[in-house]
Amino acid sequence: MIQLVQVLLLGLMLGGVYALMASGLTLIFGVMRIVNIAHAAFILFAAYLAFWAFKIYHIDPMVSVLFTMPLMFFLGMGIYKLVFPRIGESRQFTSMTVLLTFSLALIVEGVMGFLYSGIYRSANPPYTTRALLLGPFYLPAAQLYATLLSLILLGVLFLFLRFTRTGRAIRATMQNRTAAQIVGVDVERISTLAFGIGMALAGASGSLVSFLFTFFPAKHWQWIGTLLALIVLGGMGSLSGSVVGAFLLAVVAAYLGHFYGPTWSPITFYLALFLILLIRPQGLFGKKLEA
Amino acid sequence: MLLAVENVTAGYGAGPNILEGVSIEVEQGKSYCIIGPNGAGKSTLLRTICGLLRPRSGRIIFKGEVLNGLRPDQILRRGICFVPQDRSLFPEMTVRENLLMAGYSLTNKRELEDRIQAVFEVFPALKERRSQPAQTLSGGEQQMLAMARALILKPDLVMLDEPSLGLAPMVAAQVFESIRRLKALGMTVLLVEQNARKGLECADWGYVLDLGRNRFQGPAHMLLRDPQIAELYLGRRMDTRRREQSRSPEQGVEGP
Amino acid sequence: MALLELIEVTKRFGGLTAVDRCSFTVEEGTITGLIGPNGAGKTTVFNLISGLIRPDSGKILFAGEELNGKPPHMTTRMGIGRTFQIAREFQEMTVLENVIVHAQTRGLPDLFKGSILREEREKAMGLLEFVGLAHLAHEEARKLSYGQKKLLELASALMADPKLILLDEPAGGVNPRLLDAIMERIEALNRRGTTFLIIEHRMELVMGLCNPVIVMAYGRVLAKGTPEEIQGDPRVLDAYLGAA
Repeated sequence: MIQLVQVLLLGLMLGGVYALMASGLTLIFGVMRIVNIAHAAFILFAAYLAFWAFKIYHIDPMVSVLFTMPLMFFLGMGIYKLVFPRIGESRQFTSMTVLLTFSLALIVEGVMGFLYSGIYRSANPPYTTRALLLGPFYLPAAQLYATLLSLILLGVLFLFLRFTRTGRAIRATMQNRTAAQIVGVDVERISTLAFGIGMALAGASGSLVSFLFTFFPAKHWQWIGTLLALIVLGGMGSLSGSVVGAFLLAVVAAYLGHFYGPTWSPITFYLALFLILLIRPQGLFGKKLEA
Repeated sequence: MLLAVENVTAGYGAGPNILEGVSIEVEQGKSYCIIGPNGAGKSTLLRTICGLLRPRSGRIIFKGEVLNGLRPDQILRRGICFVPQDRSLFPEMTVRENLLMAGYSLTNKRELEDRIQAVFEVFPALKERRSQPAQTLSGGEQQMLAMARALILKPDLVMLDEPSLGLAPMVAAQVFESIRRLKALGMTVLLVEQNARKGLECADWGYVLDLGRNRFQGPAHMLLRDPQIAELYLGRRMDTRRREQSRSPEQGVEGP
Repeated sequence: MALLELIEVTKRFGGLTAVDRCSFTVEEGTITGLIGPNGAGKTTVFNLISGLIRPDSGKILFAGEELNGKPPHMTTRMGIGRTFQIAREFQEMTVLENVIVHAQTRGLPDLFKGSILREEREKAMGLLEFVGLAHLAHEEARKLSYGQKKLLELASALMADPKLILLDEPAGGVNPRLLDAIMERIEALNRRGTTFLIIEHRMELVMGLCNPVIVMAYGRVLAKGTPEEIQGDPRVLDAYLGAA
């Protein structure tokens, strides 16, 4: 019994980070109908930045969030303005974003490989080897701090979207782009902003990834599959769905890993993707997608 | 004259003209209903006025200014509020948030709050449901919300595109009641309705369109008594004679 | 003889009853009109007859045989042809190819025949001549005007030698000259024995071409009669003008 709860806790603690990663992707899809295949690549990019800051300047990865977020925010807005207006408002817009962001992912990967080579990296601040004891359960410090930070950031995001005028405009654009235009929202400006915020979330995720996992330039391909599974499960375009989906799948993966061995954990996400598309394609919280 | 549409032609994309030279006049404080058989171009007319479509010829003059070529949000700021067929609400947002969004372009928060309260006076049913997501409202209530959103901006002219579409008769009655309330407030209303009777009941003046053209107009309550209406909707008696003629063997083409 | 019979047919979409215990017959050899205000259920009835959707209850009989929710490719084989409100041509193909594509194949041996048979090509050309599009046979279908696309649809539907053709708003968006051409073709085909059921909003076409005329409103049949009877029936005008 204790073991089962332990596994549950381990899963929950990873879930926070997955949720943070998925939220950026969901925001970008929800506002602009862009499927950002490069999202995981950008997360890794931020991870490399955090790693480099740690290695050279001894900046704690958790603290690095303070600069990876703003950096990625502005980078994101710049990339959005540069790249996406070119494909405009065609009927095949979403499909084209897949191709576009795929190539973007390759470019980012190339840059990372060039700058950092293919050696496996991981930042290792002291807390990566510590664990806290909570009764009979042990909580790895690194995961714990990461999840707490993720929850704080997600909380701030939630408050921003819920209670500020701009946040409301973002939600409105996600729900009905035409109606948003009719009430006077500058949907282009909002889209740019949303892309920036999505990237900022990727930046924060990257800082966390830098000490939670071992990474190398091509690792983003493994991540993006997982992330896409998460947002499909939650319902594409639903932020709450992606958060719930992230925790859910992280826990399931933890259990699978525990009972069947660590090689089985990744299969959770692909299995979930398969089943969800088969049984309930709109995900847990998504709306039935119209043509 | 608040709004004057002068001989406007319009169509979608590269397609044919839907409007073939339509003219209407709207005076401040009055309400108007546009009726006509299917394909008359009634909705197209509203869409052209509010800027979703560009006139191919003719002029649209509002408060003395020519609107041709302006964007929908620019026309919105000049005082024309358009409530489209699908109502265009934000489904997951609450009634109150929808109203807040309606006032997005208002910078004065206090002013916006006042207007929201004023709107709740006009539509108490919405006040009751202010924390409910828009998608949980009934069809009639959603239409009410769409109209309430239009009111937030205190427009000079409200245009409603088939507000009773897809609604059961009892629910539609709610909608027409809401329109009458707008009228009572002194709003200038331009309404397009499939249900000619109900639509004209809410209006002072009626325009009848067919195949993209004006046919006739008149005081709303008398319009339907005009015998031309029957001809318009059901065709002229003369048409049946064509059928008799075509049965003669000399005419027409041979089969394949 | 009743070629087509609808008996108490009902179809619901979620909470909306689009077709509500609808019953009518179409006699063989007639050009029958189907009119009614928007949302009356006319196109849904067409979809039910041609097999795109299945009724929730009721029966549809064609030449005495129950359709029983047969899919479109089977209803076409039985002799029901159909055109659509918005012309749906195959854009990348030529006009001639569009018509030929509608030829009916029968079973496995057809799989091994050459790509276009001579008799199919000749038949298609003949149909194109009939509708007056022969000179455009080798043009890409997307280049046709809207009215020409409608004529192309008619020719394509004829490829299957239908006994009954369902025409969904043949006059919509068509200029008067082509409208006359379409009406003449319908009459010519009718003289040779094809039965028509036409949904149309342009009253000059309906009243000038069809007899009898069936009026639908709110998913049910309101009236059926000659054009004069329909024009004179106050209930019909009521249906169009809306409930008081």
